[in-house]
Formats: sequence, structure tokens, C-alpha cells
Amino acid sequence: MAERASSSSTYLLVPILLIAVLLGTAVIRGPNLVSLSGFGSAIIVAAPLILATYALMALAVAGRGTVDLAMGPLVAFINVSVVKLNMLGIISGPFGTFLVALGLGVLYQLAFALIVIWVRVQPIIVALSGFLALTGINLVILPRPGGMAPEFMSSWGLGTTIFSPVLLILVIATGGWLLFTLTPFYANLRMMGYDERAAWTSGVRINIVRVGAHVIAGLFAGLAALCYTALIASGDPSQGTNLTLTAVTALVLGGVSLAGGRGGVTGALLGALNLWLIGYVLATFNFGAIQAFVTQMSYGIILVLSLLLTLLVPVLSRHISFISPWSAFVVLGAVVAAIMLHVATADTYLPSEAVPATAQGPLLDRYFLTAPAGGAEPGFVLSPIQRMAFFAALAAVVLTFAARLTQAEAPARRMGLFLYLFVAALVLALFALIAMQGEVTLFSGGTP
Amino acid sequence: MTDIPPREPWPQLLPVPRSALLVWLNLAVALTVAAIGLGVGFAQGIKAQLVILYTVISVAVLLWLLNYVTTIFESRSAASAAPSDARGVWRANRVMIIAMVALLIVYLLVTASVPAFRSVTNFIAFLVLEAILLFAFKVSGRFATGRSAFIGIMVLVALVVISSFTIEGFLSGSNVKAILLFAAFLGIACIGQTLVALMGGLDLSIPFVIGSANVGMLFLTTLGVPSFVAFGFVLILGGLIGLLNGVLSYKLQGQALILTLGMGFAVAGLTQILTSIGSSFAGNVFGTVPSWLSNLAAMNGRTFGLAFPPTILIWIVLAVIVIIGLRYSAYGRYVYALGGNRRSARLVGVSEFRYWTLAYVLSGVFAALTGCLLLGWSGGGFIGVGDPYLFTTLAAVVIGGTSLLGGAGGYGFTVIGVLVLQVLTSFLLGIGLRYEWQQFIFGLLILPMVALYGRSPHIRATV
Repeated sequence: MAERASSSSTYLLVPILLIAVLLGTAVIRGPNLVSLSGFGSAIIVAAPLILATYALMALAVAGRGTVDLAMGPLVAFINVSVVKLNMLGIISGPFGTFLVALGLGVLYQLAFALIVIWVRVQPIIVALSGFLALTGINLVILPRPGGMAPEFMSSWGLGTTIFSPVLLILVIATGGWLLFTLTPFYANLRMMGYDERAAWTSGVRINIVRVGAHVIAGLFAGLAALCYTALIASGDPSQGTNLTLTAVTALVLGGVSLAGGRGGVTGALLGALNLWLIGYVLATFNFGAIQAFVTQMSYGIILVLSLLLTLLVPVLSRHISFISPWSAFVVLGAVVAAIMLHVATADTYLPSEAVPATAQGPLLDRYFLTAPAGGAEPGFVLSPIQRMAFFAALAAVVLTFAARLTQAEAPARRMGLFLYLFVAALVLALFALIAMQGEVTLFSGGTP
Repeated sequence: MTDIPPREPWPQLLPVPRSALLVWLNLAVALTVAAIGLGVGFAQGIKAQLVILYTVISVAVLLWLLNYVTTIFESRSAASAAPSDARGVWRANRVMIIAMVALLIVYLLVTASVPAFRSVTNFIAFLVLEAILLFAFKVSGRFATGRSAFIGIMVLVALVVISSFTIEGFLSGSNVKAILLFAAFLGIACIGQTLVALMGGLDLSIPFVIGSANVGMLFLTTLGVPSFVAFGFVLILGGLIGLLNGVLSYKLQGQALILTLGMGFAVAGLTQILTSIGSSFAGNVFGTVPSWLSNLAAMNGRTFGLAFPPTILIWIVLAVIVIIGLRYSAYGRYVYALGGNRRSARLVGVSEFRYWTLAYVLSGVFAALTGCLLLGWSGGGFIGVGDPYLFTTLAAVVIGGTSLLGGAGGYGFTVIGVLVLQVLTSFLLGIGLRYEWQQFIFGLLILPMVALYGRSPHIRATV
């Protein structure tokens, strides 16, 4: 039907499916996630990984197999530099910190780009070189973990609230990339990543485009380092390698093609979230002393499997081209949100009522209905049969709507405005709901 | 790119330049160097017979080398008719001149600012570095192939010269033995990396396989498995991991780097889980290393009664086998064919899958071997023992001059790269630099080394 167009983002189906499964499992295994502090700390912990994945994504889209293995050490380098400069008393305010962090990231990536362009060595060699050099210099700057993050960051890493500055950074980074995708520069970038020679022959100034991609990656790396500094509130020179490995895994998991030309901020975000969720789910199983090894092994296996899955993408997209990943995202998101709400509100609103294992639609609708009515106002009374009929009708409408949307949106290249708004409203509603009754879950509901 | 002269027949065994002047010049240089050596030898109070023997050997070797190089120049001098006016000279040599002047400025600045830096050895080191630059730019361009090897050998010689001037006891028996031993570990681990790189792939699972073999071998022997059986079993397991790597990455050759990294992670995690089940010290394995294994790799090991560990001998034998095998066996030629041009190799009927997988299998086996040998050296199992090899194997391959795109290079080059890395490590340790500075310098060193010979063509040339 719409085979040509739909193949552009079908690769997102895999991470979307995975995140639904993982989020569902995570919420069921560890209900603490669905609370003010749960989401807050989740955002804080996942932010460096997400931003580092963005940086890698920007480079991967630029093609030539650019996987900057030095991304982790670069983030660690900015981290220890900021901390060291703070300890020396040179920078303390937000302005100076941001300037230093973003400046270092951009400078490094600029050097990377210029070396790739002028010296014409393969990016992987530059990355290797940068990895060794940065890992070494990190230990010189700060021989062991320690130091103090700048003063103004002290409240960032607490994770007691969702709407922290870290979330703001994340939103700005994501929104910035999405806006960037509207520019012709982005079209050139993708074209260059997909086929550099074709881009060159058609008059794209590939050198400038490459420099641009690296500068963007440098900005993301600087932001990642800031979030990382806020998270650990100190400097740590030793975590670079781990961050590289997890970010690369997240990149692959998010369906970004390492060969260039395919990828986006959505995939990278989903991939990073998936990876963080895997860690979270694994942490809920108590493996005792071998916990770290299990996590390591799972990361490895997932990386391999997701790479193999990318082989299946062409096959998949041929058979399920009628499913729009965005609509799938919305539908699965609704299901997961239902599970979350159920977990979060099971203790407070429905202490006695057994929750029937119904289909996705009704479950969702029930909580969207009962949540506002949760203030125990008895004015709106329905008989059981009326309620059943009402729910059934609503479920039918929702299902029809979802199915229709799924089919209609299938050929769309990117998410339509409506879906954006819908998702944003959904997320906001969830946050607001949790914020409203967070204390209840935390202090009375969470501790039976 | 286009002015490579046609390849002439292999030079004769005893090359003699055609012009008599050059012969005399070579002889004079060789004799002068030998005379200096003679003087130094007597001044150090070494036995007279030994000094004479070394002098004779050095005259012979130097003369042969000089003659070899000059014959090559003679036969190619006709091909290069460079413009001789001042602007032409500047244009042809600007990178070299800029580099040399930059080095001079750096030297003068450091000398002026740091009083402790003003010494004869540093001055000699400076001169040697300038000479390397000159050689690297002017002479290496004359070699159509093996340019990287030439630069590598130059750097190696220069490093040895500088280190022996700067560091007390650098050329002592024990230090040379240590350098060779560590080079042997790295070299054996690099065999697989070279083979894989020749096919255009990369294997980042090597460090994890090394660590896993290290722990697994000790674990098995502690369980009571006869050590030889355990050794063979670990090697086979390494091969199996390699097989998995090869099979899985075959369809994903662009992403082989990431895939092997993931495999390595999985393997290291699995090994730790398996070895720490039922143990209260998760991640640590305690036990005694079989004595034959420690003799194999420990510093005080003996080979047939000689005072050097057999690992060095094993490495030399393996290196010879691999170099000859790559050069003359069908397997070696097909590896080059596939690395050079997949499509034509396939059309000739070379099974890409088979050779790709086999390269990874060999990589796994040699990584496992390195892990076992490192167990003999250290005497205790530790999963992180392979971590330094994550990038040093790659660095050695790259510095040696094997192209990561495949098809060019060979294990001989990697041997040079390994030696350069190891001598440099020893030098940096000798002048008191810490590990992190070494790593920093390694990182910065790779780029110029590769930039000298490993540049990709401009996009203009590929359309």
C-alpha cells in the first residue's frame, strides 16, 4: 500500500514494543517507580545516558561508520574538568559551568571533525585515539573519584521531583533536535550519511555538514556531562568506558543505523530508556553478589540481539507496513499507562475492588474516569449495567479510533501534530496525577 | 597515487649500488658508526672479543642496509623529477618543514623554561626525533609498499636509541626480557585482530575473552580437571566464542565492532556468573596455577634450559607461521583477496563466509591462549586482566600499518606495531611517567602514525 514511505520509521516498532514490555514489567516488579521520586530519580539517572546516546546518534546519522567510542571518556572528561575547575574556584556559577561544559564538548568534536575532514583518517581511528587520550587525561585531572559539583547543582540530583532542571535540559535537547530536523541542513546531513558521494556530487557542502553534525554532538555531550555531574554530585574519571558501552548499546537498541542516514531522536530516546529499564528490571530481581555480572551479561546479549534484529527490519517492514509505529506507540503507551495507574492507585482508590484483567481500552478508560472522580464525590452515580454499557461503548470507540489512526498514519513520515499533542497530554496527565497523589503512594500506600 | 613506479624485481641478496661514490659513502658511514661503537664498547669495559664480534656484525648489517636502501633510490631516482626552485621545494616539503620547526620551537621552549631538561641526552633525543621526521617524510615516500613498516622500524630504532641514552639499564637483559615477554602477550592477542582487520572487520571481544580464559582456566584446574585438559578446553571455548562472533557478524559486517563488543560483554558476564556460583567471593577465583603454565609465562621461566620464558619462543614461532601462512598459503591469499575486493573474490569462488568465520575463530583461540598465558604470568585469576588489550590490540594493528578497511597489511607489520608500543611503554615507565600519561601519549601517537600512511582518498577521487 504505502510501502515506500512507511519503511522510513518502521525500525522504531522494535524499540517501542520493547519499551512497552519493559515498562510494564518494571512497574509490576518495582511499583516504587510510579511515584514522584520514582520518576524523578529515573529521569535524573537516565538523563546522561539519553544525552550521550543523542550525541552518538547525531554522529551516526552523519555516516562513515562514525561511532565515537570516546563519548564516555569525553563525558567523564567534561565532568572532571568542571569539578576540578570548581574546586579551584575558577567557575562556580551556572553560566560559567555551562560555557565550560558545552565549550569543551564542542571543541573536542570540532577537532574530531577537522581531523576526519583534513587528515582523512577513518573516524574509528580518531575515536580510538580520543578514547585512549581522554581516558588517560581524565585520571591525570582527577586521580580518583571525588570533588564537588558546583554549588547550584546540588539540588538537581536529588530526584524528589519530576520537574527538575535535568528534565528541562532533556526537553530542550529533544525539542532542539526535533526543530533541527525541520531545517534543510538536516536533510543534507541525512543524505550525506546515507550516501556521501551522492551528496557531494549533488552539491552538498559535506565538510560543513560534517562539522555541523559534530558540533551538535559536542553540545549533547556537554549536556550529558552536566547531567552526569548533577547525578553523582562529584567527579568520576573511571566511568567513561561503561558509559560508552551502554550508550552504544542504547543507540543500536533504538534502531539507529550505524552505517549512517537512519536514526532520530525518538529512536535514541527509546533505546536509552530501554537500556535503563533493563537495568531497573534486573535490579528488582535479587541476584545477590552476581548482580553486576548478570547486568553485564544481559547488556551484552541485548546488544547482540538488537543488532541481529536490525537485520529483520526490512523483512518486518514488508509485512507490517500497515502499522504506523507512532500509533503503535500511542496504543502501547496507553496500555502501559493503564498498568502504571493501576499500580499507583491500587492501594489508594481501589483497596477492595478486584481488578479484572480486561482489555486495554477499558482499563485505560476506567482510570481516566475514576482518577478525577477520586475526590470521593458521590454525585455521579451509575448503575452497574449502565456503567458496563458505558465502558463497553467507550472501549469500542477507543479501539476503533486507535485502529483507524494506526492505519491512516502508517504512510506518515513523522508523527503528526495531533499525535504529538496527544502523547504530550498523556505524559503530562500522568505526571500530574502522580504529583497529585505522590505523597499518598510514598508515605501511606507505598509502605503497607 | 598515480605516479607509483612499476614494481621492479626483488633486489638481489647482496645489493651493490651502481655508482662507486655511493659504495664508498656507505662503507664510510658503516665504519664510522662501528668505530664509535668500538670506542663505547671499550670504554664500558666489555670483553675485547665481544666488542670485536659486535663491531663486525654491526658493520656487516649496516652496510647491507645502506646498500639496500641506496639501490632502491638509484632505481627510482629517475622517476621523480621534482621542481627544484625554492617555491617548489617549499610546496613539496611544507608539512615536513612545519613539523620540524614546530618540534624545534617546542624543544627550545622547554629547554628555556625547565632547567632540569637541559642535558645531553635530551639534545640527542631531539636530534633523533628530527631525523625521524626527515626520514618519515623523505625516505618513506620512496617505498611503494611497506611504508608503514619502514616508519615503524624507524620509530622503534629511535625509541631504543633514546631510551638507552636516557634510562639506566634499559638494554639490560632483564628489561629486554620483560619487554619481549609483554610484547609476546600483546603479539599473540594481536594475531586474531590482524586477521580480522585484514578482512575489514574488528574484534573487540578479545579483552573479554582474555579475561574469561584467565578466570576459567584457573577455575577448571581448581575443580580438579587435569590442567592440560583444561587448557585445551579453554582454547576450544575461545574458538567457539570466535565462531559465534563470526557467524553472527557475517551479515552485519559494518557493525562487527559493536557486535563483538556485545559478545565480549556477554561472555565476561557469563564466565563470572559460572565461576562465582557457590562461591562467597563473587568475581574472584582462588587457586594454584599449574607449574608448567607458570614456567611458560613467568619472568623466571626457562626454555630448554635457557633463561627466557617460553612464551617469547611461542610468539616467535606463531609469528613466523602466521607471516608465512598469510603470504604463501591459499588461506592467506584468499584473506587478502576478500579484504581487497569482496565482490571479485566472491566471483572467483572464494567463500566469504568461511574465511570471515575462520578469522574470528582464530581470533578467539589466540585470545584464549593469551588469557591462559597471562594466568601463568600473574599466578592469579582476574577478569579484568584483559582490559588493557581492548584498544592496545587495535592500536598495535593500526600503528603497524594494517588498514582497518581490509586488504592491506599483514602480521609482520603488527609485530612492529607491538614492539613500538611495548618499547614506548617501557620508555615512558623508565622516565617515570604514570600509566594515565602513557595512555594519553598512546592516544596522541596513533593519529600521526596513521596519518602518515593510512589516509583515505579525497571524496573527489572516489566519485
